[in-house]
Amino acid sequence: MKLKKYLTLTRAGIIEALQFRLSFVVMVIGNLLYLIVVYFLWKAIYASAGTDIVNGMTFTDTLIYLVLATALFNFMEMYTVWEIGRNIQSGKIVLDLLKPMEYRKYLFWSYSGSFVTQFFLTFLPTFIAVAAVTHGAIPLGINLLYFVISVVFAVSINYSIDFIVGTICLYTESIWGINIMKQVIVLLLSGATIPLAFFPETMKTVLHWLPFQSIYHAPLSILLNANPQPEKMLVTLGTQAMWCIGMMILSKLFWKASLRQITVNGG
Amino acid sequence: MKRKGFGFYLRIYCKILAQDLKSKMSYRADFIISTIGMIFTNISGFVSFWILFRNFPSINGWSYYEMLFLYGFSLISLTPVQCLFDNNWSLRQYVYSGDFIKYCFRPINLFFYYQSEVFDIKGLGQLAFGIGTLIFAWVKIGLAFTPLMLLKMIVFLLTASLIMIALQNAAAASCFWIQNSFYVLDLAYRFRDYAKYPITIFTPVFRFIFTFVMPIAFIAYYPSLVVLRPDAVPMLSWLSPLIGIAFFYVSYKIWMYGAMKYSGTGS
Repeated sequence: MKLKKYLTLTRAGIIEALQFRLSFVVMVIGNLLYLIVVYFLWKAIYASAGTDIVNGMTFTDTLIYLVLATALFNFMEMYTVWEIGRNIQSGKIVLDLLKPMEYRKYLFWSYSGSFVTQFFLTFLPTFIAVAAVTHGAIPLGINLLYFVISVVFAVSINYSIDFIVGTICLYTESIWGINIMKQVIVLLLSGATIPLAFFPETMKTVLHWLPFQSIYHAPLSILLNANPQPEKMLVTLGTQAMWCIGMMILSKLFWKASLRQITVNGG
Repeated sequence: MKRKGFGFYLRIYCKILAQDLKSKMSYRADFIISTIGMIFTNISGFVSFWILFRNFPSINGWSYYEMLFLYGFSLISLTPVQCLFDNNWSLRQYVYSGDFIKYCFRPINLFFYYQSEVFDIKGLGQLAFGIGTLIFAWVKIGLAFTPLMLLKMIVFLLTASLIMIALQNAAAASCFWIQNSFYVLDLAYRFRDYAKYPITIFTPVFRFIFTFVMPIAFIAYYPSLVVLRPDAVPMLSWLSPLIGIAFFYVSYKIWMYGAMKYSGTGS
């Protein structure tokens, strides 16, 4: 019974997302354009490098990595910060807080419908297209299962970070600046714009200890690894699980401590 | 109605600008955070560049400093659209809610009045960053510095800005016909990320598309060649001022056509 109320929100989200069909078309064009630019940019980069393998990654590896990172980004970007910020400004947050569900959960599940639509409309087609274009450069085996588990962790960590940043909006009442800062930091430090393999050693070491690499780097490197060693896999997934729990607790506590801050003008 | 002169519009612009700045200053925290966010975006772009070139000395015959020059050039040329035409982002909300009708009743140019209402100060941070990058690259490449060069630079920077402004105007105006123009605007906004790459990395088909269908190459590549590689300036570079003006004019007409067609929501 408990799950049912969440799934109702998922269903509402799917219906809502399907209302905006045109935006899907524009989004597909935008992604296509991005893929074209990335393809040619890295092709030129590898052509100038003179060698086939740079930092242990071939051109195909890099391409798959970056394309799927974009697909993952579209899938995971929930605009949570915007949602919270807007709800604070409009005062709607008061109504949401009165709902018989934790706000953190309510927000997540009302967005979850988009996970379903995004998965089938953008992630899966991209995945199939990449697998076909690269002639099976993506190993299809047990790593797919690990990949799915890893993505679930990634979604959760990403959401917790978003929620923490959204909570900061309660204090600053600034949305745009906070959101852009978060986006820039997450995308760069998680290896979504440039694979972490290309980063300088010291930066790699530092990033290893931060939660961001669990969002994009971890699932993608699992996917590209054909023969996963059990120990290594366990370390990657274990790190993700730890960050997942840690960030969840942190975001909950921060929200709880910040709730008193809310000021709503009228209503 | 008598046509109002340039001086008249300039006076009005200053008055509106002063009001806008006053209202911005009452949200000081938001202003500071937004500025920091903007600086973050620029720094992250710079860091990505640096990481990329640590691994590869040149891309397709373009050295690090030449690419940096393009990057700085694109940052500066994107400043006017950021600072002066930011209200385009709110257009769809005004149109949707019906508030847009208030602009239709003023005895001054509708387009001018609408765009003048918001001045986005955080774009100035980007301008400073862009100028710094450009000067740094300029010195490192060892380009000559003469008054003529400076004049060329300014003319072609303005050209490049016009293209981006035109793209954004047209994208924003799409909300007069379709409901949710956010994705169209977002698509146009993403063009600026691609502007910083030399168009020679693409195959001829895409070179044609990015020159004539989606004129991304005019945002930085073609105009900057005039200064960056003065020995071999393609015809399109010299033509870019005309193309910029033409594009701007067309986008203005589209915008006005949509606005004139607008009938309000009846509330």
